[in-house]
Amino acid sequence: MDFWFSYITLASIYVLLGLSTNLLVGIAGIFSVSQAAVFGVGAYIVAYFLMNDVLSFLPALMIAAIGCIGLNILVTLPALRVSGDYFVVTSFGIQLLATAVFTNWTGGTGGANGLPGIPPPDLFGKALESSSDLALLCAGGMLIGCLLFWLVMRAPFGRLLRAIREDEVAVAAAGKSVLRAKVSAAALAGAFAGTAGGLYATFLSFIDPSSFDLDSSILLLTMVVVGGARTLAGSIIGPFLLLALPQILTLVDIPTTIAATARQLIYGLLLIAFMLFRPQGLAGEKL
Amino acid sequence: MLHLLRRAIGALAFMLVVTIAHADTIRFGAILPLTGPGAMIGTQQMRGIRFAVDKANAAGGVHGEKIEILFEDNQAKPDQSILSFNKLADLQKVPMIFTAYSGPSLAMAPLATRKKILLINAGAQADKLATASPYLVNTLPTIGDEVKVISKYLIGDGKTQGAILFENDAAGIAGRDDFVKYFPEAGGTILSQEPTQFGQTDFRPALLKLADAKPQVMLVSITAGLLQMAQQYKQLGLNFTVAGTTFFADPDTVADPSSEGFVHTQVRIDAPPALAAEFKEKFGVEMEFFVRQYYNATQMILTVTDKLLAEGKALTGENMHDELFAIGKFQGLIPLEFKSNTATVPLDINVMRGGKDVTIKRMSSD
Amino acid sequence: MLALQLLCNGIVTGCALGIVAVSFSFIYATTKIFHVAHAGVYTMGGYIAWSLLGHGFPAPIALLIAMAACTALGSLIQAVLYARLEQRSATHLVILIASLGTLAVIQNILAAVYTANILRFDLPWSSHVVTIVGNVRLTLTQLTTVAVSVGAYAGVMWFAHRTILGKQIRAVASNPFLAEITRLRPRRVHVYVVAFASALVCLPGVLVPLDFGLQPYGGVTPLLTATIAMIAGGVVSITGAFVLAIVITELQNLSLLFIPGEWSIGVTFFIFVIFMLFRPKGLFAAAR
Repeated sequence: MDFWFSYITLASIYVLLGLSTNLLVGIAGIFSVSQAAVFGVGAYIVAYFLMNDVLSFLPALMIAAIGCIGLNILVTLPALRVSGDYFVVTSFGIQLLATAVFTNWTGGTGGANGLPGIPPPDLFGKALESSSDLALLCAGGMLIGCLLFWLVMRAPFGRLLRAIREDEVAVAAAGKSVLRAKVSAAALAGAFAGTAGGLYATFLSFIDPSSFDLDSSILLLTMVVVGGARTLAGSIIGPFLLLALPQILTLVDIPTTIAATARQLIYGLLLIAFMLFRPQGLAGEKL
Repeated sequence: MLHLLRRAIGALAFMLVVTIAHADTIRFGAILPLTGPGAMIGTQQMRGIRFAVDKANAAGGVHGEKIEILFEDNQAKPDQSILSFNKLADLQKVPMIFTAYSGPSLAMAPLATRKKILLINAGAQADKLATASPYLVNTLPTIGDEVKVISKYLIGDGKTQGAILFENDAAGIAGRDDFVKYFPEAGGTILSQEPTQFGQTDFRPALLKLADAKPQVMLVSITAGLLQMAQQYKQLGLNFTVAGTTFFADPDTVADPSSEGFVHTQVRIDAPPALAAEFKEKFGVEMEFFVRQYYNATQMILTVTDKLLAEGKALTGENMHDELFAIGKFQGLIPLEFKSNTATVPLDINVMRGGKDVTIKRMSSD
Repeated sequence: MLALQLLCNGIVTGCALGIVAVSFSFIYATTKIFHVAHAGVYTMGGYIAWSLLGHGFPAPIALLIAMAACTALGSLIQAVLYARLEQRSATHLVILIASLGTLAVIQNILAAVYTANILRFDLPWSSHVVTIVGNVRLTLTQLTTVAVSVGAYAGVMWFAHRTILGKQIRAVASNPFLAEITRLRPRRVHVYVVAFASALVCLPGVLVPLDFGLQPYGGVTPLLTATIAMIAGGVVSITGAFVLAIVITELQNLSLLFIPGEWSIGVTFFIFVIFMLFRPKGLFAAAR
């Protein structure tokens, strides 16, 4: 059962990240490969507070969320000054810079060795240690996140974001502040990512820079695109499916010597196939 | 009367199930980096395990039962390792898992304690591994053990001014920290240190910066790109001594003239020529260091399994753990002795001369 | 002394990176596609040359065949994948992900065939050391890299400004819409562009591993740095890409004199991000 619990826990965390990425990339149209960096900052903040016994879990999580709101606004500001394509490289740069900080700032992040021994989360005084408790916590977080997302999309703010995606100029001409809407979307995305980071740190009890690198950012993007961009369903399907994929692929019989590379290969082929034949993903709107 | 009968049938059925379960193949797990930057080493490790298991199965298995290894690819990432660990533990119910690389092993250690699954590490050497979990057993010495030995040797040889070249990841930094601690303890001074990125093979800037400090010896803690480092060292015309640990034992580097004079500690693990030839025929490559390490570790596990089954005990992680320490000494490719969770092994000081790795001093790692 | 040697090393690696940047900018300026799979083409070139040399082919022939293979691969990706996606008006994000998938496929095929080990790539003369001004030591491989790269840069400039195809490509790059209306046939031009750039990137793809060894997953970081060089230099400027690649590499090398080595790559990207905030058009942007 532990395996299923850890799958659900991890998938829930990635759904929160999927919502974050979807908000930023799918809905606000700000291309980003630096979401893993923000995820990492949330994780390290919560880890720091819990390991040094400064705060308990929920306050630490809130601070992580707030911190990541600020960080995401800062990180997406360049996007608003440069056109979409240039921001691709800026975003790559921000992610690589973050990885460099995570790996080298040994004092704050434990450096390349990471931070082992992060205490389990505690809710109102009770420590959550068993895998079923953690699964419940993270699934709960996921549901709250989904609800929030759904409400936001139905509210005027959500409609404004959609309108910006369709025709930014028209929206600006109508007198609405495009800049403010995009920044708000980035802020909300930051909150989601920071929360996901905190949950991740307490679930694994060990974090190191390799979980928050460029590959992870690309995985997030893939989840959103394959699952379906811009929709709630897509943000849920993508993570659950992509986390299961490596496990599903182990059922395919391949000789051990090339099994792992063969699986990565199949993964790449799937991405190509999806983009060619179903770019809107499984449950999304056309990107 | 009836309910006694039902009890008896239940007990019989249970025994039947247990015996049938025993008659199935014995399954162990292995979580290794099979793709990504660590794949180079992970593939060697996988081959070592497979070679040992295939040989055992060809000879009839252990106590008539075949062994099967369930390989999982973790890309040297801790979170993938945890998922794989839970999968192997819950779905496949393995009692023992092979692991590699410090980061993933440290991440899995608390889980191993909790679930009482034996974790065997035959590749990673971070010092923290020695005490990470009672269920984590290391079959090779920690970097600290090796660094102590090479530091004493170098100081004894008059090389007291050292500069460190290290890989900026868990393994490399562990080595760097040990050099910073033990080299001065043996009487030396650390003049400077430079990092390089794992997988990145342009060492020239780092070498030049270190050379500028005018050291007598460069203490090296890298796991990949050793040959390129040696070549660039030679091309730049540098001439301080180059020293390292078992990571230096890369056949390409040994054979290349640019490594002439490189000195390092070496965990003494040799393969008898017949075995090496058999391996080469089967896999098409040489039986390198990590192949031998994991072959040796697998043999150790097979010995433990054999003894447990002979004593009629169940094959659980707890039993395997206890049996391993009860046996205490193993004779595989190298003698292993467990006075703690880390094996005491013979450790040599080797020098690369004329394309060969020559042993100049024999020591031990404790 | 140290500084001079670092400077020279920087020029060598910078020149190789410069050709990667030039080839990438060629593609991006014309097709506007962020062709990350270009890193895969770059990596494959080295492996093909290595295999051929192992089979006894003389070095120049091995190089030419490797270039042909790269050209074929690049053109294939453009004609079969990107063109099809563009026909369906796929967004840039979709194309980028398809390109990432292609890169994963190429890298893993190479890893499966050649193993993930760092392979040693030597020629009899490649390690020979030459001492030039002020005690600076460079290998023949390094000197060849500079010579070939500068030559390639000159060749590309000549191609772009003096040949008809080159001018057509520049025309398509500067105004795709108009190109569509006239008889320039942008789609065919796109294939020529990717073909040409793929052949071009095979040069550093062979020379760099000759110095540093072959590995299947190592192409992404140089590509990223090259992209920064391209953008910082002003996307449509070939000279900009080449020069900035050298500048960035020098910055990384020389920064070692002042800051610990761990931070040198971080500093580069930090400077770039600042750049993007204050001068997004790049240094050599052509006046429009």
